[in-house]
Amino acid sequence: MAKDAAPSPLSNIRNFSIIAHIDHGKSTLADRIIQLCGGLTERELKEQVLDSMDIERERGITIKAQSVTLDYQAEDGEVYQFNFIDTPGHVDFSYEVSRSLYACEGALLVVDAAQGVEAQSVGNCYTAIEQGLEVLPVLNKMDLPQADPEEVSQQIEEIIGLDATDACRVSAKSGLGMEQLLERLVRDIPPPKGNREAPLQALIIDSWFDNYLGVVSLIRVFDGELRKGDKVEMKSTGRHWDANVVGIFTPKRTETNVLRAGEVGFLVAGIKDIHGAPVGDTITHAKTPQVERLPGFQKVKPQVYAGMFPISADDYEAFRDALEKLALNDASLDYVPENSDALGFGFRVGFLGTLHMEIIQERLEREYDLDLLTTAPTVIYELLMDSGEVIYISNPSKLPDLSSVAEMREPITRATILVPQEYVGNVITECVNRRGIQKDMQVLGNQMQLTYELPMSEVVMDFFDRLKSITKGYASLDYSFERFEAAKLVRLDVLINGDRVDALAVIIHRDQAEPRGRVLVEKMKELIPRQMFDVAVQAAIGGHVIARSTVKALRKNVTAKCYGGDVSRKKKLLQKQKEGKKRMKQVGSVEIPQDAFLAVLRTND
Amino acid sequence: MTALPPLSLYIHVPWCVRKCPYCDFNSHGVGHNAELPEDAYIDALIDDLAQDLAMVEARPLHSIFIGGGTPSLLSPAVFQRLFSEIRARIPFTPDIEITLEANPGTVERSRFDGFREAGINRLSLGIQSFNDAHLTTLGRIHSGDDAEQAVLAARSAGFDNFNIDIMHGLPGQRVSDALADIERALSLAPAHLSWYQLTLEPNTEFYSHPPRLPEEETLFDIQDEGHERLKQAGFERYEISAYARSPAQRSRHNLNYWQFGDYLGIGAGAHGKVTRTDNGRLSALRRWKSRQPDAYLRRRADPRGYVAGQQVIGDDEIGLEFLLNALRLVEGVETELWSARTGLSLEALERATARVRQRGLLTLNQRIATSDKGLAFLNDVLADIEPPA
Repeated sequence: MAKDAAPSPLSNIRNFSIIAHIDHGKSTLADRIIQLCGGLTERELKEQVLDSMDIERERGITIKAQSVTLDYQAEDGEVYQFNFIDTPGHVDFSYEVSRSLYACEGALLVVDAAQGVEAQSVGNCYTAIEQGLEVLPVLNKMDLPQADPEEVSQQIEEIIGLDATDACRVSAKSGLGMEQLLERLVRDIPPPKGNREAPLQALIIDSWFDNYLGVVSLIRVFDGELRKGDKVEMKSTGRHWDANVVGIFTPKRTETNVLRAGEVGFLVAGIKDIHGAPVGDTITHAKTPQVERLPGFQKVKPQVYAGMFPISADDYEAFRDALEKLALNDASLDYVPENSDALGFGFRVGFLGTLHMEIIQERLEREYDLDLLTTAPTVIYELLMDSGEVIYISNPSKLPDLSSVAEMREPITRATILVPQEYVGNVITECVNRRGIQKDMQVLGNQMQLTYELPMSEVVMDFFDRLKSITKGYASLDYSFERFEAAKLVRLDVLINGDRVDALAVIIHRDQAEPRGRVLVEKMKELIPRQMFDVAVQAAIGGHVIARSTVKALRKNVTAKCYGGDVSRKKKLLQKQKEGKKRMKQVGSVEIPQDAFLAVLRTND
Repeated sequence: MTALPPLSLYIHVPWCVRKCPYCDFNSHGVGHNAELPEDAYIDALIDDLAQDLAMVEARPLHSIFIGGGTPSLLSPAVFQRLFSEIRARIPFTPDIEITLEANPGTVERSRFDGFREAGINRLSLGIQSFNDAHLTTLGRIHSGDDAEQAVLAARSAGFDNFNIDIMHGLPGQRVSDALADIERALSLAPAHLSWYQLTLEPNTEFYSHPPRLPEEETLFDIQDEGHERLKQAGFERYEISAYARSPAQRSRHNLNYWQFGDYLGIGAGAHGKVTRTDNGRLSALRRWKSRQPDAYLRRRADPRGYVAGQQVIGDDEIGLEFLLNALRLVEGVETELWSARTGLSLEALERATARVRQRGLLTLNQRIATSDKGLAFLNDVLADIEPPA
């Protein structure tokens, strides 16, 4: 859209998102829409544009929401302004998804016609329906020979309750059915409502930090107009800022100097800290402080914590700087210094979920070239103390003396699992083993939808991987925090040659402590290399040892023959050994490899 | 400035009949009855030595070691010529040790008299095992009986001072098999035994197609029981894998490596190391020669000479190299050798070894030596030494 174009009337605007499971073809579909509207040339399209981070592209998921404004010449002769808002596609980012959807009047539910509906899409789709969005089912990958549109349409009707008889059938890859889809967008998705004369009310869909501009916010204007130079107020902080740059993404960043009710675009207001423009916040003019906040604002809170430690103590400063930089762009990333007896100085870092954790760890290692050791993730526990005080614990080694604790409570999630019927038995067994309580079970065609209440600690503990492996990859999962609930919890300590290793402690349900302890010490025994002396590995609750194993001492470690005058190979070997040693962590006199610190995660293998 | 270290000469012969699957030396299989370019190679060796002479600095040679490959594939006559040419350039000490590596094949053992006449006074026989099945696994082309015949031939040629190489930890080997090999070796009354563990080295057939080696505990049992048996038989272990009937029968050439002495290396792929002083600072010059036999031979007409590369080992590495060698000796070395050979201070040695001494793995007084435990865990000891600079 050129910046001198006449403003689009509200009736000619369509704001929509795409809801899709990972690899059901969201990016390809988005690219195709952009191309048909002339937003990019064929050559520019070669690179998928919306997923801009390397990791996003590799994992096929969107971490940050983005948008693109497009002009579409419809068959009725009118030009429509399409604002396509891309949403994150993973359970860890459900709050961001809900804000993106709130900014839209419609959504395309994209389902792979060969694979069918997955739980992730179901969760997001319900959010969209609850928020009153018009949801348009789209069957993608119709060019595949195994596409089964009848079956998948039936699934959509049974699982989501949407009428799919009229679903668009497309292949984003080949372009099949795409024109009809755009026409349907115009016809079925309602135009935004809003009053361009009213005081400004706009929603922050997402914010990120740009090295040159500072914080850039993606916004949807509901009422009024935002112009370059306006003085604006952030409702959550009450602080005032100057709207320095106002524009849209085409998908290139384009300054238009004005955004009107119904439109989506960006604002740069000289904000240096991402917490100054939080996702879900409301923007108005400084002169109209009476404008109300849009509903649903939440301060994002980490759900999962892990200790992260640089392998080399020399990297501590670099690690801190890297976390600072990442936090500039990620308001959900929380970190405080942590000092572990076993691992030295590091940080306890809070994440939205385990995927978020993996992404952050990968970015730290890849973009900042850090070697990190990450401890097993833990959830937050709520403790009611005898004094009546309520405290929250995100680090098992910081658990206070239990004699002063009146009640320990763990976070409970509501998990929805979609799985083909033949695997239901496996899934139920797994959920029971993880202390799940079944809340609902529905037959939906060939699929079953199971709803469980599961302790979050169990979900965080490789549940998704496990679910995939016991269902040949067919199960899909969606979960969200429900409440804290009292539970019989204990701290399981690991002792290496009698020394408690703080970084290995886990909080665990009493009934599971013994079996887990036994598996854990066996796992540790496999992972700790044999050393010059016996290494005793014990699992204990309080002072009481519940499981033990021994890594038998090596009897020798010496290279047999070293002659001839060429010592270069021997030196290389020594260098390798020294480097291997560096990657180990010294606990007392015992060298422990990094893997062992994650053994607690793999006790279900 | 202290005197320069003793000087040895290593001569490499890069051919063998068939390359063994465990061998990572610079050795090229040429098949039976191959015509080797003997004279051309000897000419090249002499030429190669002439180009290294500047590094000798008026020292006599106290040992020569001819290794390979299978140097006993060369005829005695060429050694005669080789030694007289060497002697014309570098004097020999009166008691010089001249060792030849030999295989126990029939052709080789018919040459033992000639080798003796050429001036070779020590043989090192690559027997490896007396067990025919294990010899086959190792790709050896001789039998257990051949091995015994070779020893008898060596003895009748006048070689009382000979070494037998025996390997242990072979695929499928039990403790009793390893002990049986030791018994047969002992029955041949060698002066010296190299009894060493088979290891899978990169760039070997065994490395890319690893055989199944005995369990770790079996390997430990073999070593413990083997050491015990050798000790009982009067063989003193003076280095990780080297045993001698008396101190006089230790390998002088190898001791020179372990005591961080100097050596020239001539022949295809040979490595040499000599001490240098620049403005009173010690360093070591490492130099290695062109590896491929044909390429090596062509270097005669090459203005670059035979050197393929060289490197100065300075303060940052020389100390570690010293310890890498010296600590292989059961008794270690006299502590004063440290400064004499590396130019580094005693304090540097104390700092470098502080942690391993504290762990009880090493002692430092008149001598520097590992403890029994330290010797068994030498790899850990070396990995725990701080770079002494």
